[in-house]
Amino acid sequence: MAYFRSHVLVSVDPVCVEKGAYELIETLQDELVKQGLVEEVQVLETSRIGDPETEGLDLMVYPEAVHYTKLTLDDVPFLVEEQFLKGRIAEQYIRETKRVVDEELSAPKTKEVRIVLKNIGEIDPLNIEDYIARDGYMALGKVLTEMTPEETIQEVLDSGLRGRGGAGFPTGLKWRFISNAEGEQKYMICNADEGDPGAFANRRVLEGDPHSVIEGMIIGAYAAGASQGYIYCRAEYPIAVRTMKTAIEQARNFGLLGDDILGSGFSFDLEVRMGAGAFVCGEETALMASIEGQRGEPRPRPPFPAQKGLWQQPSNINNVETYSNIPQIILKGAEWFASLGYKKSTGTKTFSMAGDVKNTGLIEVPFGITLREIIYDVGGGIKEDKKFKAVQTGGPMGGCLPESHLDLHMDYEALAEAGSILGSGGLVVMDEDTCMVDIARFFMDFTQDESCGKCTPCRIGTRRILEILTRICEGKGKPDDIDTLRYLCEQINENSLCGLGKGAPNPVKSTLEHFLDEYEAHIYEKRCPAKVCKSLIRFEIIDGLCTGCTLCARNCPVDAISGERRQTHVIDPDICIKCGICEQLCPYDAIEIK
Amino acid sequence: MINLTIDGKEIEAQEGTTVLEAAEAAGVFVPTLCHHPQLTPYGGCRLCMVEVEGARTLQPSCTLPATNGMVVKTNTQKVLDARKFVLTLIFSERNHFCMYCQVSGGDCELQNRAYDEGMTHWDLQPNWQPFEVDASHPFMVLDNNRCILCRRCVRACGELVGNYTLGFEERGADSLLVADYNVPFGESSCISCGTCVQICPTGAIIDRQSAYQGKETEVDHHIGVCVECSVGCQRNVLTRDNRLIRIEGEWDAVLNHGLLCDKGRFLPLEDDRARLLTPLVRKDGSLKAATWDDAMKAIAEGLGNGEGIAAIASTRLPIEDLALFKSVFADALQAGLVTTLEEGKATASLAKMAEKLGKPFESNLDVLKDTDAVLSLELDLVDEHQVAGFFVKRQLTDGTKLIVADSKGNKLAENASLKLDLKAGDENAFLDKLHKAVQYETGDEAFDKAAKFLKTAEKPVIVYGEDFAAHADEKALETLLEISESLGAALVGVKGNANSMAASQLGLEAPIKVNGHKSAFVMLGDEEPSQKLIKQLEEVPFVVALAAYGSQLTGNADVVLPVTMWAEQSGTYMNMDGRLQKAVQALEVPDGVLTSRDTLLKISEALSIEPDADWKTKVTSRTPTVEIKEA
Ligand SMILES: Cc1cc2nc3c(=O)[nH]c(=O)nc-3n(C[C@H](O)[C@H](O)[C@H](O)COP(=O)(O)O)c2cc1C
Ligand code: SF4
Ligand code: SF4
Ligand code: SF4
Ligand code: SF4
Ligand code: SF4
Ligand code: SF4
Ligand code: FES
Repeated sequence: MAYFRSHVLVSVDPVCVEKGAYELIETLQDELVKQGLVEEVQVLETSRIGDPETEGLDLMVYPEAVHYTKLTLDDVPFLVEEQFLKGRIAEQYIRETKRVVDEELSAPKTKEVRIVLKNIGEIDPLNIEDYIARDGYMALGKVLTEMTPEETIQEVLDSGLRGRGGAGFPTGLKWRFISNAEGEQKYMICNADEGDPGAFANRRVLEGDPHSVIEGMIIGAYAAGASQGYIYCRAEYPIAVRTMKTAIEQARNFGLLGDDILGSGFSFDLEVRMGAGAFVCGEETALMASIEGQRGEPRPRPPFPAQKGLWQQPSNINNVETYSNIPQIILKGAEWFASLGYKKSTGTKTFSMAGDVKNTGLIEVPFGITLREIIYDVGGGIKEDKKFKAVQTGGPMGGCLPESHLDLHMDYEALAEAGSILGSGGLVVMDEDTCMVDIARFFMDFTQDESCGKCTPCRIGTRRILEILTRICEGKGKPDDIDTLRYLCEQINENSLCGLGKGAPNPVKSTLEHFLDEYEAHIYEKRCPAKVCKSLIRFEIIDGLCTGCTLCARNCPVDAISGERRQTHVIDPDICIKCGICEQLCPYDAIEIK
Repeated sequence: MINLTIDGKEIEAQEGTTVLEAAEAAGVFVPTLCHHPQLTPYGGCRLCMVEVEGARTLQPSCTLPATNGMVVKTNTQKVLDARKFVLTLIFSERNHFCMYCQVSGGDCELQNRAYDEGMTHWDLQPNWQPFEVDASHPFMVLDNNRCILCRRCVRACGELVGNYTLGFEERGADSLLVADYNVPFGESSCISCGTCVQICPTGAIIDRQSAYQGKETEVDHHIGVCVECSVGCQRNVLTRDNRLIRIEGEWDAVLNHGLLCDKGRFLPLEDDRARLLTPLVRKDGSLKAATWDDAMKAIAEGLGNGEGIAAIASTRLPIEDLALFKSVFADALQAGLVTTLEEGKATASLAKMAEKLGKPFESNLDVLKDTDAVLSLELDLVDEHQVAGFFVKRQLTDGTKLIVADSKGNKLAENASLKLDLKAGDENAFLDKLHKAVQYETGDEAFDKAAKFLKTAEKPVIVYGEDFAAHADEKALETLLEISESLGAALVGVKGNANSMAASQLGLEAPIKVNGHKSAFVMLGDEEPSQKLIKQLEEVPFVVALAAYGSQLTGNADVVLPVTMWAEQSGTYMNMDGRLQKAVQALEVPDGVLTSRDTLLKISEALSIEPDADWKTKVTSRTPTVEIKEA
C-alpha cells in the first residue's frame, strides 16, 4: 500500500453531492497533481461531515483532524497550498463548533484539574465534529501515521497511567501483555459497567465525551493488534448506551472505525453490549463470561484475559476513564502526564463525591491531593458544619478512614496501605451522626447480596458477617463476635476467588480497626454511640423543654406518648417503635435520643 | 516438561498440568470438593488452596497452572487454616446433620474431608434455612439441604452429557440448584442418565434404588462392560449379599469416562419379569416342571438335525456363547438356519462392504468426541446408544454443526443445525444428491448448506444407524465411501445390541425365515422376544427355548431351559467400534440355572457332539468393518 502522509475526507452524502461534493473531489485531485502532492495526499469519500444546513462544502484532513467548512471550489488551491504544502492550518475555513451547556457538571472547583472531564459540557457528544474540533482523533492520526504499536505501548507505559477501574494495574503493561500474546483474534474491551452504587463518573464520560473513549480504544487496539472491541455498558445507562452507539456509527462513517482506518491498513470495529445488571459483572472475567452469554460468574486467573480472555482469545479490558486518558497522553506526551500526580500514581482521578459533604458530585483532581483538601477545599466541608467522622473510598469494597487519615495523599498505594482502595472513585463522607457498625452492616448487606455465589468464602462468609453485624446492631452481639469478625474478614479476603469477595471485608476490617470502641459499645454496653441503631436507643421527652403542645402525641403512630395539654409529655418506651416522627416534629427540640 | 517443588519434593510435570494434578502425580494429597477430573476446573469451593512462593494470597491448586520453578506448599498452617475455614463455612450453610444422611460414614466427600482435617464440630452458628426435598424423579431425590453448591452436577449435565437440565437460580447465599426453570426434577428435561447423582460429592442427590442399602465399603464391585447396547460403556455393578444395589459408570473408562445412560444405569434394576428357575418340558400338551435330565432327553428326541433346524441366538449373549452356538448348530448339526434375533440388520451390508474392500472402513467412536460437523443418517442417538449421543450433544454449544437426515421422528433433530429429508428406501437418491452437493453447488439450499458445513469442518464425521445399514445397498455404501473420502470424513456405524458386531464377525446374519422347519432352538438369554418371532415360531413343531425370563415364546415352547441373566454370567463383548471387552459376573448363578454356554455344552453332551469352544480366531477371521482391538 502506498504511504500517504495525509488523508482528505470529503462527504458524499446526497446533500453534499447536491452541493457539489464530486466537483470538490475533482478540483482537489487536480490541485494535488498541480502542486506535486498526489503521492502524499489521499482523497477519500466519506458519509456526512458537517451540518447539511450550512452553505458550502465540508472536508476533513487527517491525521490533524481539521474540519474545513463553508468551502467553495475557488478556495481549494489556497487550502491545498496552506494545508499540504506549507503544513499550516488554514484558519479561516475552520468550522465553528456548537457548544452545549451541560448543567450537571459545574465549573471546575479549586484544586480540580480536568483531563478526563475536559470536554464534558464543552462539546456536543452527539456530534463528532465537536470532538474533532477539540483535537479529537488527532492522537489516533498520530499513532497510525507516526508510531509503531510498540512505541504506542511505550508511550502509555512511560506516562505511568494505571487502570482507573479499580486495581490500578499499569495500562501500558497490560497492553504489552496482550500485544505479546498469541491468538487468532484479539479483543479490546471497555468496562463501562460502573456498578458501584453512587458512582457516576464513567457515565458522565460516556454521555458527555463518547469519542474520547472510542479513540482511546482504537489506539489501544492498534497497540494490541486487536480487531474487535466491545463496550460493556450497564443496562441502567440507556443514554450512555445510545450515545455510544451513535458515536460509534459516526466514527465508522468517518473511516475511524472499520476496515483500513484512515488508510493505514489497520482495521478495528466496535460494538456496545448491555450489562446483565449484576454488580459482579463489572469484574473483568465475569464481564467476559457475560459477553459470551454465560452466567456472569468470575473465572479463575490465571489464565489472565491477556492470554485467554473473551472466547478464550487474548483480550484487554480497561475502564472507561482509563481509555479516555489515552488520546491526551499521546498528544501531549507521556512526560506531561507523568508530571501530574504523585509517586507511582500519575495523572488525575475522578471521584463521585457523596454523603455529608457540602458539594456533592463529580470532581477530577490530580493524584496526591489529600483527603482533607478533597473534602474541605473541593467539597466545601461537612454539611451543617458538623464534625467529620469518616470517609469511605472506592465503593462498597472500600475501607472507612477516620480523621487521622485526612492528610493522606491520595494514591493507589497509600489507600491500600490504609486499608481501603481507590476503586472506581466512589467517595462517601460521613459526619459524626454516623454509626460505623451500622455503616459496615450496610455495605456488607450490599456485597453479600451481590456475591455471585460461586465460591465458598464470599458466598457464605459474607452472609455470616452480615448476620453477626445485624445482631450487634440489634444489641445481641456476643463478646467473641469481634474475634469472629476478624477471623472471617481475614479468611474471606485470603481465599475468595474474585475482587468482590477479597474486598468485601474492607468496610468491616477498617471500622474494626479505626472504630473498635463503637463495636465495643454496642456489644458490651448495648449502646449505639451515634444513636442510629434502633434497638439501642430510646426516645425521651425533656422536662422543661416540652411545652405540652401535643403535636407529638397526635402524630405518634402507636400512641406511645401521653400527657395533658401544656403539661410535659411522656413516652412509654415499651410501646414506642422508635420511628423518630416525634423527634422530627417537636418544634421545641424537646425530644432526645438516648 | 517443567520442574516444580511441592512440599520440598522436586517434581517433573507436563506443561499445561495444574498444581493439583502435579501434586497428585507426586503422591501429595490435596483435598478438593468442587473439582472432578472429568470436569473443567472450576475453582469454586476453595478447599484446595495451597501456598505458592511469591503469590500474595493462597492459590486454588485445581485451577492454577503449574509453572517452571514454582515452589508450592500444601501443608503450612495457613493452608490448614484455610481448609478448616472453608469446611466450617460449608457446614454452616445448610443442614448437615450427618446422622440422618444417606452418604454419612464414608460416602460423603464433605464429611470425609472434615474428618481428614480432624474436625469434630464447627464454630460458626449456622443459619439453616430448610428446603423442600424434591422426590418427583423416578430414580433420584434432590435434597437442597445437603447441597454444597459445588456445581459438579450442573457442570456434568452440561459439559459431559450435553443435556443442560441442572442450573443455578438466584445468586450469592440464595443460590439454589434447580432443574430447568425450577420445575420438579421429575418433570424436567432430565433424561435420567444419572451422571449428576454419581458425581455429587454429598447426599444432595440421592439414588432412590440404592439409598441406605450399603456404603461403598460394604458393597462388592464388579467392573465390566454394559450389555445394553453396542456402545460398550464400562460400568461398575455394585452388589451386596448377592443383591444388585446400584450401577455406576467407570470414571477411568477410556470410552465412556464415567457416563452411562438410563438403560445401562437405572433400568436393569427395575427388571420385574418373572424369572425361570427350573426346566420345563411339554407333556401331554402342557408345560410341566422337569429335571435337566428329562429336558435333555426331550431335546435329544425332538431336535433332530440338518436343514430342519432353525437356531436363533440373542446378541446380548457373550461371544463365547455365540461362537459355541455356531459350532453346535452350523458345524455339528448343519442346521438350515443359524442366526441371531437381530438377523444382521445393522451389520450385514456393512460387513459385505468390508469384505469387498478387504479392509475396515469405519472409525472409532472417539471421533464423535472431537468433531466440528456431524452428519447423522437414519439414527436417533437420543433414545438409543445414548452415550454416543452425549458425545455429540455436548459439543453443540461449541459450534459443532449437526446435520440430521431422517424420515422418522428423531429427537436428535431437536438439536440439529440443519435437517435433511431422507426417506427410508431412498438412500441412493439421497446420497447421490449429497455427493453432488459436495462437488459443486447444486442449487438445493439444504444440501448445499450441509455440504458446506462438512467441507469447512476440520474433523467431519458421518454416523449412521441400523436403519441406514438395513436399507443401504452396495451402491449406496459406495457413494457413502466416496463422499467420506472427498470430505476426509470419518465413518461411524452404530450397531444394535452389545454383541451385534461379534455376531456379524461370526457370520450370524441371516434373516429369519421359518418355512417348514421341524424344530427351532432359541437362545434368548435375558432378551425379550419380539411378537414377530413368537408368531413365526408358532408354526414350528418342536421349540427349545433357553431363557432367563418367562414369555409367550417360552410359554409356547416344548422345552424351556432356565439360564442366567446378564449379571449372573461373564464373557466377552465386541462393541460397535471393535473393542473387545469383558462383562463380569456380579451375582451367583441361582440353583437349577445354568449359563447359556453350559447349557449348550450339556446339550452337546446329550447329542454326543463335540463343539469347538474357540472363539477368538472365529471372530477375527472375517474382515471387520472396523479394526478389532483388545481392550
Ligand atoms: C466486583 C467487582 C466489580 C468491578 N466493577 C468494575 C466496574 O464497574 N468498572 C470497572 O472499570 N472495573 C470494575 N472492576 C475492576 C475490573 O475487574 C478490572 O480490573 C478493570 O475493568 C480493569 O480496567 P483498568 O485496568 O482500566 O482499571 C470490578 C472488579 C470487581 C472485583
Ligand atoms: S468472590 Fe464472591 S463474587 Fe467473586 S467469585 Fe467468589 S462468590 Fe463470586
Ligand atoms: S419515636 Fe415514634 S413511636 Fe416512639 S414515641 Fe416518637 S412518634 Fe411515637
Ligand atoms: S452431605 Fe455429608 S456432611 Fe452433609 S449431612 Fe450428609 S454426610 Fe453429613
Ligand atoms: S440425570 Fe443426567 S440429564 Fe438428568 S439432570 Fe442428571 S446429569 Fe442431567
Ligand atoms: S447437588 Fe451435589 S453436585 Fe450438585 S451442586 Fe449440590 S452438592 Fe454439588
Ligand atoms: S450407551 Fe449403551 S453401553 Fe452405554 S450405558 Fe447406555 S446402554 Fe449401556
Ligand atoms: S477443588 Fe479447587 S476450588 Fe474447589
